[in-house]
Amino acid sequence: MNNTQKFFSILAVFIYSAITIIPIVFAIDRLILVSGFNPILWIQSLDQNYVSQNSIAFTFVQAFFSTILTVLIGFPVAWVLGRHSWPFKAFLRSILTLPFVIPAIIAAMGFLTITGPYGLDVRTDESTWWWTLIFSHAWFNIALIIRFCEPVLSTLNPNFEEQLLLLPNGVTFFSRLKNLWIPILTPSIAAASCMTFVFSFTSFALVKWITVRDKTLESTMAEVSSSAGIQGYMEPSSDIVLGASLIQFLVLLASLWLMSFLQQRRQTKWQQASELFVQNKNAKGWFVLAPAIFFVQLPIISVILGSFRVRDVSENSNSFKWSTEGWSEAFQGSYSFPPLSEALFNSLIYSFGTLIIALPLGYILASTIHQLEENNFNLSRILEIYTMLPFALSAAMIGLGIMLGIIKLNPSAAYDFRFLPVLAHVMITVPFVVRIILPALRSFDLSYDENAKVLGMSNFSRFFKIKLPLMKGSILVATVFTLAMSLGEFGASFIVARNSEWITLPLLIDSLRGKPMKDPLTVPSSNAVATVLMLITMILFLIVEKFRNTKDRGMF
Amino acid sequence: MNFPHFSKLIVACLILFPSFTGCISEDKSDNELVILTYDVNALSDSMISKFENSTGLEVRMIKVEDSGSILSYLIQNKGVGNVDLAIGLDNTYLPTAIELDLLEEVSIVKDSISGKNSSSQMPALGPYDGNLATPFDMGFICLNYDSSIVDGLNFTIPTSLWNLTEPEWKGKVALPSPITSSPGRGFMLATLDYFDWQNNDDDFSNWWTAMKDNDAIITSGWSEAYETHYTGGYGEYTEGYIGDAHITVSYCHSPGVESWYNGNWTKSASLDIDKTAFFQVEYASAIKGGNSENAEKFIEYLISSEVNSQMPVENLMYSVLEGQNLPEENGYRFNSIIPSNPAVISNVDIGKNIEIWLEEWNEAMIKSE
Repeated sequence: MNNTQKFFSILAVFIYSAITIIPIVFAIDRLILVSGFNPILWIQSLDQNYVSQNSIAFTFVQAFFSTILTVLIGFPVAWVLGRHSWPFKAFLRSILTLPFVIPAIIAAMGFLTITGPYGLDVRTDESTWWWTLIFSHAWFNIALIIRFCEPVLSTLNPNFEEQLLLLPNGVTFFSRLKNLWIPILTPSIAAASCMTFVFSFTSFALVKWITVRDKTLESTMAEVSSSAGIQGYMEPSSDIVLGASLIQFLVLLASLWLMSFLQQRRQTKWQQASELFVQNKNAKGWFVLAPAIFFVQLPIISVILGSFRVRDVSENSNSFKWSTEGWSEAFQGSYSFPPLSEALFNSLIYSFGTLIIALPLGYILASTIHQLEENNFNLSRILEIYTMLPFALSAAMIGLGIMLGIIKLNPSAAYDFRFLPVLAHVMITVPFVVRIILPALRSFDLSYDENAKVLGMSNFSRFFKIKLPLMKGSILVATVFTLAMSLGEFGASFIVARNSEWITLPLLIDSLRGKPMKDPLTVPSSNAVATVLMLITMILFLIVEKFRNTKDRGMF
Repeated sequence: MNFPHFSKLIVACLILFPSFTGCISEDKSDNELVILTYDVNALSDSMISKFENSTGLEVRMIKVEDSGSILSYLIQNKGVGNVDLAIGLDNTYLPTAIELDLLEEVSIVKDSISGKNSSSQMPALGPYDGNLATPFDMGFICLNYDSSIVDGLNFTIPTSLWNLTEPEWKGKVALPSPITSSPGRGFMLATLDYFDWQNNDDDFSNWWTAMKDNDAIITSGWSEAYETHYTGGYGEYTEGYIGDAHITVSYCHSPGVESWYNGNWTKSASLDIDKTAFFQVEYASAIKGGNSENAEKFIEYLISSEVNSQMPVENLMYSVLEGQNLPEENGYRFNSIIPSNPAVISNVDIGKNIEIWLEEWNEAMIKSE
């Protein structure tokens, strides 16, 4: 590592620390100033406050059942997709994994429309809300099971199964399941389940809109966030935030450790074969694929249709008419809500702002980790874990950290600094950029760089003329992923930007949906904004798919 | 994408981003009035533009979720001076704002406001008549019931709060939480007076515990209670409606609003039980450190006859002006009641005790009978 590289590496670590760690430390300091340092009391406060009572149990139970249902729905899909050949397979895979990149607030709108009066009409029965949430989590996370299991299923040498068929332990389907598939697939399923659990555990938008009064730790934290960190006023809010954050941090940390452990086991080399050799045709597979495609696309289509369906108030009944009034309302805006174009502009500004900071920062951090791996392995591991730290913080924790941290530094900046959401989005996206760039750097053939060095090319030329073109696929994936994540981000933005004029698309959807429902355009206008956000996300996702390295199929 | 294009894209992004930042950044100027508010319907586009045209000031809004969020914002930003005027603090939050020295005095002539010169049934200046806050709308918070179901046959019309703890009302009452809703907070304050909190008995806590044990539906806000759960209102025409509660907390004039929207028809009615209604007044206040001169201009405009007389139709609340009433059209006034014996809790008591009362409410809700 030469001096220039060292300078950039140190600068990147410094900026990363300033953006991510300092606000969180300040926020915790401010909360502790109000609540005192007593972690046991923080956790006890969750059950001692009516607003957060039962949220611990609800969070764990719904995350557990969401994970089970996700595996039950996702695994058969991964199996038929992996073991059989299909026309337009890449397209099918894209469709089936699309939900994972759709912002959660859109999923919420889709499921509300499906279960609402013009769909299944089961919202009137409150007991259905819990299952709606579980199904929506399964919908959201089904892609994880497919992404983790399908590559293993599609490339495992079929000789294994054929040989097992001849042995006493492989005669029946169940014995082959026990002796072959379960040992091979368990690490992948467990890793995907672990991630599903984490995403369901920290679910916010879906819980806020679907189960309403039953809250996760994440949605509880968001609800009390406006009065947290204030001495002498609503002090229990600070206890609740600290208790919820602590539990979330520990659970996410444990999940990350488990994930990392399982990932290592997943990398155990099994004899592989070409997909063409492994996969055969199986028309019966459509009995699994067709309902799965229907399940995945239904909420998306519901949102689009819902943007054109307007309740007919003249008849004072549940009849509706097809109209573009919802779109007009969304485009025009009102005193209470900015027009769609303004929210889109804000969202684009935030996402490009996030990209401009997160991409170079993530690249330099990944590059530093990669270079340290050669000279100082232990330091590289420490830095790698350090850059993954925001993974152990939920979106609400990040939002609150930024908000309270900035208030500590400069109170007016917390409400007047327009780019506050960018800081939150940078925190959320940098770890993903590092995760996408690092494997690409590791697989980069260093001989190109060394030959160029021998030929006398400068650092700058070598970077722009050799490294960048060879890595453009990964950089583009990181770029698009950063843009998509920032555009759809809701949890942190809800905390840092809801009390501002700089409303984003997901916040506009939430605000429109939250206004009194007497207005027949409440639902269609929120669905219209959701449709725009969804289309942008889908286009970005299709770009990612085009540039994604086939070897990376098992990862996001 | 080849290399030159890719690098051009990066360079373009780097150049464009700072230019975007320039076009959306704003600094507070003397010619600007920054208003902190929640979604108060009365502040319509046309109303704001008219003010801007007549004064030459530019209005900028900071919108927060509700009255409680206005207070939180002001506390977090104490001394910063980034806000000139707060619109929407009500008399359950105002005492805390005064106690924490967040507001600035302005000299507004309040002669036209009810309660200044006469003994009105709804004295807008009753809860507070100082110079730190000026009332702009008001109404009584009370229990509403669905008269098509609570008709004396299917359900008995309650005459006491204890009736609601009986098995007949199990799971049929929706109440917004006082922690997260200002109507909820107003109703909780009314129950304190109902159970005579000054005598220090436990009826207040016991009643709330009994309500919780009787499966009362506690919601985070008014909308959820009224639109999602209440059978007597317009909620049944909206998505997400459940309709499992026949009694909820709303305003005593909410049945009038229903009637006004439905062409002189409503099945919702207000319950006039002694000491269960809370008189809520919403205020506009200049903020310490802000431009109080500009704030004063807007407050004067807000309580002008031209704007304030429209409160019942624009904001669905009573005007604070002397002699103003709800319109008679479509049964608006006929279906709205003024409670005969509302709860009385002074602003001083609220300011001193609100945190303790909320804590007591919380204790009552987490324990079981």
